[in-house]
Formats: sequence, C-alpha cells, structure tokens
Amino acid sequence: MNSNFDSSKIIKRRSFLAIILAFLFFLIISVRLFFLQIIRGDTYKKKSKENRISTKITPPSRGDIFDTNGLLVAGTISNYSFVVYKYLNKNYDLEIKQFSKIIKPVKYELLKDKLSKYNSYKPFFLLKNIPWNSIVEFEKNKFRFSSIKILETKKRYYPHENFSQIIGYMSESQTSLKDFPKGAFHIEEFYNDTLKGFPGKTFNEVNAYGKTVRQISLEPSIKGSDLHLTVSSNLQNFCQDIIPVNKKGSVVVLNAQDGSILALNSNPTFNSQDFENRDSEKISSFLNDENKPLFNRAFSGFYPPGSVFKPLPALLGLEKGLINEATEFFCKGYSSIGSRNYYCWKKGGHGKVNLKKGIKESCDVYFYELAKLLNIDDLSSLATEMGFNQKYKIGLSNAKPGLVPNKKWKRKTYDESWFPGETLITCIGQGANQVSPLQLATFYSSIINGGVYPKPRILKNQSVEFLGRKINEKFHKILLNALNSVVNEAGGTANKLFRDNPNYIKIAGKTGTSQVISIKESDREDDLYKEKQKEQLEKFKDHSVFVGYGPVDNPKYIASVIIENGGSGSSLAAPLAHKILNFAEKNNV
Amino acid sequence: MFKNFQSILQLNWFYFLLIIIIFWIGEINLFSAASGSLDPWAKNQLIRFLVFIPLFFLILMLKPRIIFNLCEVFLILIVIGLLLTLFFGYTGMGARRWLRLGFINLQISEFAKIFLVLYLAKYFHNLDFKGHLQVSRSIIPLIITFIIFILVAIQPDLGTALILLILGCLMIFFIGIRLIYPILISFIMIAISPFLWTFLKPYQQSRVKTFLNPDLDPLGRGYHIIQSKIAIGSGGTRGNGFLGGSQSSLDFIPEKETDFVFSIFAEQFGFIGSIILISIFILLIIIPIIKSINIQNTFVKLAILGLSIKLLLEVVINISMTLGILPVVGVALPFMSYGGSSLLSNMIICALIMNLMSVEKKFKYFR
Repeated sequence: MNSNFDSSKIIKRRSFLAIILAFLFFLIISVRLFFLQIIRGDTYKKKSKENRISTKITPPSRGDIFDTNGLLVAGTISNYSFVVYKYLNKNYDLEIKQFSKIIKPVKYELLKDKLSKYNSYKPFFLLKNIPWNSIVEFEKNKFRFSSIKILETKKRYYPHENFSQIIGYMSESQTSLKDFPKGAFHIEEFYNDTLKGFPGKTFNEVNAYGKTVRQISLEPSIKGSDLHLTVSSNLQNFCQDIIPVNKKGSVVVLNAQDGSILALNSNPTFNSQDFENRDSEKISSFLNDENKPLFNRAFSGFYPPGSVFKPLPALLGLEKGLINEATEFFCKGYSSIGSRNYYCWKKGGHGKVNLKKGIKESCDVYFYELAKLLNIDDLSSLATEMGFNQKYKIGLSNAKPGLVPNKKWKRKTYDESWFPGETLITCIGQGANQVSPLQLATFYSSIINGGVYPKPRILKNQSVEFLGRKINEKFHKILLNALNSVVNEAGGTANKLFRDNPNYIKIAGKTGTSQVISIKESDREDDLYKEKQKEQLEKFKDHSVFVGYGPVDNPKYIASVIIENGGSGSSLAAPLAHKILNFAEKNNV
Repeated sequence: MFKNFQSILQLNWFYFLLIIIIFWIGEINLFSAASGSLDPWAKNQLIRFLVFIPLFFLILMLKPRIIFNLCEVFLILIVIGLLLTLFFGYTGMGARRWLRLGFINLQISEFAKIFLVLYLAKYFHNLDFKGHLQVSRSIIPLIITFIIFILVAIQPDLGTALILLILGCLMIFFIGIRLIYPILISFIMIAISPFLWTFLKPYQQSRVKTFLNPDLDPLGRGYHIIQSKIAIGSGGTRGNGFLGGSQSSLDFIPEKETDFVFSIFAEQFGFIGSIILISIFILLIIIPIIKSINIQNTFVKLAILGLSIKLLLEVVINISMTLGILPVVGVALPFMSYGGSSLLSNMIICALIMNLMSVEKKFKYFR
C-alpha cells in the first residue's frame, strides 16, 4: 500500500519551509549581532568601560531634632552587625562554623540555604545589633576570620518617649540603593526633606573580580539640617506625668505671645524607638490597642468643646450690637423654642444673668437666649477668624479642620435645613461642634491678643505669623474680665482653683463639660455637678475640659486640657491646667 | 528491545560531535561566568552531563518501535507530573515549576515538550491518510496541546507554555493541514491579542513593556536588556578574549548563568565567535531535518522534525532575548544554560533524534 504518498509530499515541502525559516531566523540574529557588535561596537565598548567604575552611594546622616533648650530628642546612633563577604574567602562556611562557637546566637545551619545563594560581593548579615562584649570577643579572634567583618549601620535614636506623639517615626529602611529610610509620621515625615540630607557618592575602580582597586573620587554626603522645636522637654514631661495614667486625654500649652507650642501631649502614647527597633510585637500592640496610642488627641482629636466655647457667641452678640455688657436675660432653669425646652445645668435657674455672670457661672439659658438672636452662619465665620475650622499644618500628621457648623454644612451633610434649636446647642459648645485641644488653645490666644493671634508653630526658627482680625478693645476687655471672674471671683465655676492653691500663679480661663452622649435634656447639668456622674458607666462619662491662661495680668501661657470621660471641667481638667500653668511660669519655659 | 551492536556504527556520529562541541563551549562559558572558576556552575553542569550520558546511550540503543510504543505512557506520566507540580511543586521565583523527585528537582514542563511532540507524531502516523489533513482530525491534537499548555501556563511559566503551544500547532502544520487555517488563526490571534493582554500578570505585562522600551526602567526590568546589549556590543568583532569580559565578571549581567549565557559568550568571543556558535547550532538543527525528508516513516519524520524545531525555537528565542529582539521570557539556551532539567531534556531529545535518524529510509511501518 502506498496510501500516504500525497501527504508525505506535503510534509516534505513543509520540512523545506522549516529549513528556510530556520535560516531566516538565524539571518535576523546575525544581522542584529552585526549591528550591535560591529556597527555600534565602539559605543558599547565605551559604555562597558563606564560600567567598570562602580558607584557606591553613601547614605547621609539625618538631621537631629532638639527641644527648645537644645536637648537632643531625636538623633542618630551607630549600630553594629556581623556580616560575611563570601568573595573574601572561599571557605567562608568553615569560618562561620568556627565563628558560631564564639558568637553563640549565630547558627550556620539556619543561614546555610540563604547564604549559598547570596551575592558574593554584598554583605550578608549574620547578626544585627551586636552587643559590646561580642565585638570585644570578635576583635580578640579577628585574625581567624578573613570573610567576617563588622558593619556599621545608622539607626534613629529617640531618648524621650514623651516626644513620640510629636516626632513620629521612620519607615523601615528599603534595601534598594535609591531609598534611604524615610520619615513616616509627624515631624519625621513632614520635615523629611529638611532632615534627610544629601547622599554622597564614592566612585571606585573595580578589577575583573569586582574588587575595588582604588577610590577614584568621593562626593561626601551632606548631613541633613537639624530641627529645633519650640517644645520644652521639662514641660512636656511634666504634662505627660500629670495626666492620670488610666485616662485618655491631652494637653496643649501655647505661648500666647509668639504661638510657640510648649507642650503637646496625648495619653495614652507610644514609643518611637519601638518603631525604629522594628519591635513587631510592640508595634502591633500599639496598632491594635483600642485606646489608640498612635492617635494624637491634642492635634487630631476632635470633641464638642462644651462651655469653653461660650466666649465666641458672646463676642458675636457684642459685635452685632445685639447685647451689651449690661444686657440681661432671665434664667428660670430652661429656655424654650416652640414646644421644646432647653435646660440650664442649674435646675433652679440663675435668675437675672448678664454676660459676665453668664460666663462666670456658665449659665446655659443666657446663651440660649443670645442664640435666638444670632445667625449660625455668622457664628461659624467668626469661629474661623478666631482659630477654629482650620488645619494647622505645624508638622504633625492627620491635620484636619474640625467643624463649627453652618447652614451650608448641614445641607451638604444631611440634606436638611438648619433648625433654630441647633443654634442653641451650638452656642453652648455641644451639637455638631468638633474642635481640637490645639484649636481651643488658639481660640483663647485670639481672645487674649484682641483678635490678632500668632499662628501656632513648633519650629523655633519659623517666623511668627499672625492670623485673625482685630476686635473692638471694649469687647476684648469685657471678655477678659468675664474669664477672670470664672477663677478669681466667688461663684465662678473654677473659683475652687484660687482657693485650693492661693500661692500658685493667678490664672483666668473657662471650664467646660463635653457631653459624650445626649443624656436627657432635663438631666443636663454643667460644671459643678458630681453625683449623677458616678452612677454612669465610665465610657459615658462627660469629657472634662478647661482652657486657661496666666499670669492673668500679662498672659504668657495658654493651657488647653481635655480629659476624656473625666467628668466636669472644674473637677479634673481645671486643677491640671492650673498646675501646668504654674509650672510653666515658675520654670520660665 | 535493543538494536544490535553493529547498528551503533551506522549512527550519525558527526551529530554527536556537534552536541559535544556545544556542550564544551557551554562549559567554558560557565567557567568564565564565574570569573574563571569551576564553582559553582561549570563543575556541577559537567557532573550532570556525565550522569546523564548513560541514559543518552540507552536511548540511542532503543529500537524505534519501542519508542513508538511508549509515547502514550510517557504523555500520561507527563500530565500526572504536571498536576503533581501544581499541587506539591517546589516554589521558586513566584511560580511552582519544580517537582522534587528524591534528591533532584525536575521541571516537568521541560519534558512535556518532548513527549507532546512524540505523541502527536504517533497520532498522525496512525491516522495514515491521503492528501491534506482534515480539520476534524486536528481536534484531538489541539485539545491535548491545549491541556498541557494550560497546565504549564498556570504554574505560571508563560515562556515554556507558549513554546508548547507553538510546537503543538507546528506539528499540525507539518502533517499538512491546509494553509488557509493557520493563516485564518493568525488573523484571529492578532485581532484578540488586546484582550489576551489583560489576562497577563502585571509582571508579564511589564516585561513586554520594558522590552518595547528598556529605558522605561533602566535599573529595574530594563536593566537585563540594557546590560546584555552592552555586554554583547562591547565584544566587537573579535571579542574581549577568554575571561576578558568585564561586564560578565563584574556581575553587571543578571542571571548570566541561565538566561543570559549568550551575552557572556558574545562579550568574550565577539561577532566571529558568535557566528561560529550560531552556525554549529544551525547544523545541529538542519542536519536531522534534511535527513528526515527522505525517511518514509511518518512517525520518525515528524518526531525528528518536531524535536529539531523545539531546539530551533529555544535557540532563537533565547538569543533574540539577549539581543533585545524579543522580551525576556525565561527560555534556556540548549546545552549552554546552567540547569539540570534543561540539560537532561535536551540530551534526551538529541539521543532520540540521533536514534531515529538512523532508521532505514524505506522502513515505513512498525512491524
């Protein structure tokens, strides 16, 4: 049978085709080779010479960070590791085995697989963070190990844990040449470009075995610039210690004259060093802690401020000519809009109340009645002028503007119109108000400075900028007088401070109690109540707020204190603020 | 089972000489890739070669009928091996490609190439038809090719998978399907290629992108291509001489012992050396195909053709890749790249080709 005669002819033809195709492919390759090696051979030869010079990038030292008195709060220290360069000795494995007898934590068996595939010319880490006695031990036996060396690496060093919430931390260092460790949080991140410096380069001529023959040139690295913070470590430590350990809260201390942040604390806190040490156990415990120790409450914690907010509607009323110093409202314990009642914290009511008494005794009804005359949009824009609704980009992460609400916001967020009752709640610092402790401090700074206040700043060499607008000198005096009476006159909500510590500096300020949940309106009370709270669950307890300044006749320091679930402002936050202001004044920070 | 002893003399020993020459060029090249050291590559590769030589001669001695009979068995073993690789494979470089058998790691997909060709050759041999191949009869070969393609592609090893797919299709082409079909399919492939693009993994996409423009990423993926071109180009006409390649010895070429061996060679031996090496490869591929033309037995003819084409594809793809004509796909250069599976499979292929080349021209059916 000759059945597949035809098909074998086809196969034959196509086999020839395959041969032609093979030649064609090789022709293409040959043409390409001709092009690369003969036509452009010289160009590539030149390029290969350039490749002969190896460039090594030397990392720069990062700038240090100091507190206001020149105390180091973030620096760079050296760290030593044992490394092996395989190309230095063919019997590097024997050396490592010998070495592991001296330096116990090194186990050759565990490293073997990784090591065998590792680049001969690059350092392979045997042991990081070696202790001093290991270095001494190694130095004694150095002559036995030609392939093992000690390598110095740099590491960030944070001596003061209490600065972690300000300084932040660094990201993990990348292995690639292009990336050096970068700041990943707060000051380290925000001022990374200032701190990082410029890498240097060494140009080495290498021989055919990759060994450096000689150094051709060197561009030294340039150390990053140092930063000098306005924060005082004395005060920062004092404030951190004064916050009750088991309470969440924050303290901001501002210099009223130049806006310097003297202390910025948040509790609970973390330790930057744990991030630098890559202590994964501690890092994950920070990340998973429900109390959020990484969260800086002083800067990015937003709360309804409570009664410390009251000077704002008071100022608006004065400016709009709706009230004057003598205008009185009658407090019978509540105020009504339509069928709805809004209660004062004092059940029996305050009787006749003018502006000074309204602030001194923190009468809610006074501000309800005032609120009825006010436009919420005016209040919101005045708030912006006085330090609220602003992101302060001082160098900390998670800057947010917060909120003193207006009609536009309500429409945008809830697609609802503004209810008059909401103005009442807003005027006593509750409702949709969201302000940070730092914003409260700047608000009081603007009151003290007559409207034009220094922008908060955290770097010493930053020039002082001013925000806000001038307020009428008369209104300015009225407000200062009222705030003075809160502490220094009988009946003031914080008068206890003066009585308890008469030898401390004289301060003025305002207490506040920030409601965590809307308890029944009839139960609403303000600063002086205590009993009811004890029955409540800890987490539903009100936040204790106090913003104060001193010395009272020439204010230099402003302290804004919030203790979450701390109860009334007068009971916890006010005494802390008094102590802090006293400390600041006595130590002249 | 085995041929008689005299038939050994009838084998094409020139072909064997070509293999030995290429292997020794490869050895010298691996020696220079390690900056003039037998460790770690040249010595290991030589040991492997010596270990595999007995198997090479065993295959040479087999009667073609035995090879013919075992085709299906081996194909089934390959499919099982590929499945085992997927489930129990040893993972390296982001893919499950190796199967641990005792003390050696085998890349089963390398061997799939051999037995796919042999199986398809046998399938068409048994069809025993006249004229052009009917389309309906190409369905089973296509399905089998596609199954093996998928098993390798999901490892993922796109380079090897594509070679398998091309091999399967070429086998159908050689047996004589009407030309209109491959042309039609090519058009369809070109039309749907934008859709296929979206199926590629990001790293595969970026390989193609960097191939099209290496300067996109000169320190990352484009680095391979740029450094390889510098090495090859700097070889010039005569090369920098044995061990004279600065690029290779300075570690500027990554994967210089596997995918980029040709760059090392071309740097040292220049255009002249490269053309000589390519000529030897041409002989290795063309001689069996020419011999096969006059052989009557369809299985033998197709097997020689298919296996030689496999070598052709690998040589062309690998060298083109180092020259920057094709994207980097991870295809080894036969007998020169360092690696056990590739060496073993190519030795088996050459033993099979050498064996089958020696059959009588008139010998048409297996008895």
